[in-house]
Amino acid sequence: MADLRVVTVLSSGAGCDRVADLPGACRVSPTEVMIVGDASVEVLERAVRLEDPDAVVIDVSDGWALVLLEGPGAREAFARLSELELPARGFVQGEVARIGARALVREGGIGLLVPAMLEAHVRERIRTDCRGLVP
Amino acid sequence: MGALRFEGREVPVLGDDTVASALYRAGVRTFTRSLKYHRRRSLYCGTGECPNCLVTVDGVPGVRSCITPAREDMRVERAHGWPSTERDLLHVTDRLHRLMPVGFYYKTFIRPRFAWPVAERLIRRATGLGRLPEDGTRQTPTARHLRTTVLVVGAGTAGLAAAVEAARAGERVVVCDEAPIGSRLAPGRTLDRVRALEAEIRALAEVQVLDRHAALGLYEGSFVPLAAEDELVQVRAERVVVATGATESHPVFPGNDLPGIWLGRAAARMVARHGVPIGERIVVAASTAEGMEHLSALVAAGANVIAAVVPASLGTEVPDGVETIVDGKLTSAQGRKAIAAVFVETSGGTRRISCDALVLSLGLAPRDVLVRMAVDEPVEVVGDASLGDQEPHLHEDGTLCLCEDVSLHDLRQAWDEGYRSSEILKRYTTATMGPCQGAMCGRALACAARNLEDVPASPAGASPAGARTTARPPARPVPLETLAAAVHEVIEKRTSLHEVHVAAGARLGWSGAWMRPFGYGDWHAEYRAVRERVSLMDVGTLGKFLVAGRDAAALVDRMFPTRIRDLEPGRSRYLLALDEGGFVMDDGLLCALHDGAFYLTSTSGGAARMDARLREWADLLGLHVHVLDRTAELGAINVAGPLARKVLELLCEDPLDADAFPYPGHREVVVAGVPCRAIRTGFVGELAFELHHPRSRGPELWAALMREGRTFDILPHGLDALELLRLEKGHLYLGQDTMPDDTPVKLGLSWAVDAGKEWFVGKPALERVASLPPSRRLFGLEFDGGPDDIAELRGMPITVEGAVVGRVTSAERSITLDRAIGLGWIRTTGDGFPTELRAGTAAARVVPTPLYDPEGVRVRG
Repeated sequence: MADLRVVTVLSSGAGCDRVADLPGACRVSPTEVMIVGDASVEVLERAVRLEDPDAVVIDVSDGWALVLLEGPGAREAFARLSELELPARGFVQGEVARIGARALVREGGIGLLVPAMLEAHVRERIRTDCRGLVP
Repeated sequence: MGALRFEGREVPVLGDDTVASALYRAGVRTFTRSLKYHRRRSLYCGTGECPNCLVTVDGVPGVRSCITPAREDMRVERAHGWPSTERDLLHVTDRLHRLMPVGFYYKTFIRPRFAWPVAERLIRRATGLGRLPEDGTRQTPTARHLRTTVLVVGAGTAGLAAAVEAARAGERVVVCDEAPIGSRLAPGRTLDRVRALEAEIRALAEVQVLDRHAALGLYEGSFVPLAAEDELVQVRAERVVVATGATESHPVFPGNDLPGIWLGRAAARMVARHGVPIGERIVVAASTAEGMEHLSALVAAGANVIAAVVPASLGTEVPDGVETIVDGKLTSAQGRKAIAAVFVETSGGTRRISCDALVLSLGLAPRDVLVRMAVDEPVEVVGDASLGDQEPHLHEDGTLCLCEDVSLHDLRQAWDEGYRSSEILKRYTTATMGPCQGAMCGRALACAARNLEDVPASPAGASPAGARTTARPPARPVPLETLAAAVHEVIEKRTSLHEVHVAAGARLGWSGAWMRPFGYGDWHAEYRAVRERVSLMDVGTLGKFLVAGRDAAALVDRMFPTRIRDLEPGRSRYLLALDEGGFVMDDGLLCALHDGAFYLTSTSGGAARMDARLREWADLLGLHVHVLDRTAELGAINVAGPLARKVLELLCEDPLDADAFPYPGHREVVVAGVPCRAIRTGFVGELAFELHHPRSRGPELWAALMREGRTFDILPHGLDALELLRLEKGHLYLGQDTMPDDTPVKLGLSWAVDAGKEWFVGKPALERVASLPPSRRLFGLEFDGGPDDIAELRGMPITVEGAVVGRVTSAERSITLDRAIGLGWIRTTGDGFPTELRAGTAAARVVPTPLYDPEGVRVRG
């Protein structure tokens, strides 16, 4: 997805803490932060390496596909795909359409981040399971 | 007013008719035939519990007509009996009780054996509930998930009141009911109360009402699936309130299944709500306040009730004009096609009252199936569902289980045969195992078992023999297609080159979860392109991992048996992954990077497990390591063949010659403007560069390689060509050529194990078995003769003088070597491994591998 940027930060807990509150940051695990949106790998590297000189900061945009659920039926469509409880806004991860995915809830819609090789699978599930709910 | 189509004729539909009320008004009296004896069955419970009213609606069998709203142009048929439900010749079985004793299907049709398939067909046809539709035109139901604080099951007075209370306390509430709210109530005080509560609840924003949604079960985590006609809602609630009410209990006495015998709710609704008379001479037997309401409703609607059998305490409530029989006991009912008389035992002796309808309201049986499914779940029971157990009315004989035609007599006989508890009585007689799943007869079965055990009446559960049988889902009937809603077993993974392969006319197929090209038309040509010129293969499915952090070397050193200490940056090495038992789990390639990190690959199918194990062992060993699964993010294209370097040199300025970039090694290079990690590999046995690249740039990289390769007659190759290419090199496929308990020795892979290392995962296990000679080993094979398609030998037992000593795991006809080759495992026969063998019609012998380019000159080129 050309307009999607995802950067992964793998670091100690303290290193992750340094970047966990940045815009678009999702705390995936105690030692991993995913940052969605514009973020400079170099700037992030400088920040986390203050705590963890071994930290890995890497642009993984190619590994993720962004599938949007938009419009008034978005939450209902999500409920057809996943048992995860959606927050009003923010980030949740878990099983969506039977695969591991990350969901970003924003005004007006839900962005599903799914492993790129499973994008077709997820789109097919939305097409068949969420008929009439999302464009 | 419209009409529905019933077996070729029109049946008018009035007001809020159900299918049952419309049919009954039109004169239909026999709705079904009983399962075993084909006795006539007519409307009975009126609340969707019993099996008596099941019909086929629009091709769908097993529809409960008493609770299904009638619609115009519905097509309704009865499903039972032969040739028809009305005139059923199989009714003769009712006279043949002796030939079909309880449990007869465990005792008959056993010999002669050949007769069983015939008998089975006949029995199936005689007992079926209808034919399943085969056209598949129905819309498949959808499924969705729903989370709530409180789930209230049942929208009667108790359920609605509980929902209002919870909502007022600020909790999120979902209320479900299998019917539209209030639709199953006859006019009266209860219905008025329900309407008032419904109005209140619909005004509350915190409450979501799901009517026409039946709760199917209660699972751990307070998970309750709700089935509707067009969807399955999977509800997870913090708290469940069960307000499912009670059914009127099903009394058992001789003749209790005759048409014309009604439970009170069904009778009251038919008369008072649908305006359909149920008889000319009606007898009512009631012992509850609700029963007295039904009696009043019948009388008020003008029904001719000739007698009421009531306890003394309710005697004064019997309306004028109805004869009151106080403290009478029903002993039997008589009639041929329908009830003609009822016998009542009173203090003054037994009375025969001729009648054409008998209405029974003799106690309530709580619908407690969901409650009984709960183990540790927070479940609250309210309303009639919380009523204690009442002793059901059981007389000498009579039909206990309406669904399966099991009588009290049958239970006694089964008991005498040694089946002495409710659970095994159930299994032996099939009582409670029909469509109603014990809704009508579950309590009666337990009670009958207690009576048979001859212990004094005690609360349910007190006697093991007479305990209620285990409650299991589904609590309500549900089509399998609803349970299967949104269950998709197939998860399809695609590489970034999927569309490219499709456009090239590739034959795509499953390889694990991946969709991969098996060939592009002529796999022989693809094979020749690899061996003689140059070819591409999409290997983006390989597992790809980055292992970084200061302890990265320590992790790979301890996790894998591979020698790590002398692996210099820029070099790579075959990687074997063992489990704790020393068994081979996976293989791949390990590349040492310049910053102390490692890049490693695994098999396509092993990627998820590799990721999990890397993280797990980093944790177990307490190492500071960062593991990143890059499988999704990176694509990979293998450029293979003696001319591979020539093609790459047209697109790449980095040095690729054997001195600057020797085998086995890896480099960061730029090919056609795409940054790649090129890895020299040897799987196909030719000069080969695996280009690991950003996934999004796969199509442009592939296109550039194909374009520049045109001069060299480049072709892509698929899995079919690969099968032979790797077999000629004696390389094994994990899974296909291996077994779960293969150690490196058994696979001839000892060279990939650094026995000098102090410790690695699986080493202690390997040391324990080191002194034992391997009983089985994988060998290269050559075949003479055999089938035309030598691949048919795959899976064939390998024999020596007729004794099986092994199995062929791979077999192909080698194009280059012009002979049939393969791999297979062979057991030792005492004096070593046999070498002269047979596999089916082929002679086989053990040969050293690799057969193609044994010195590996071509790979290193």
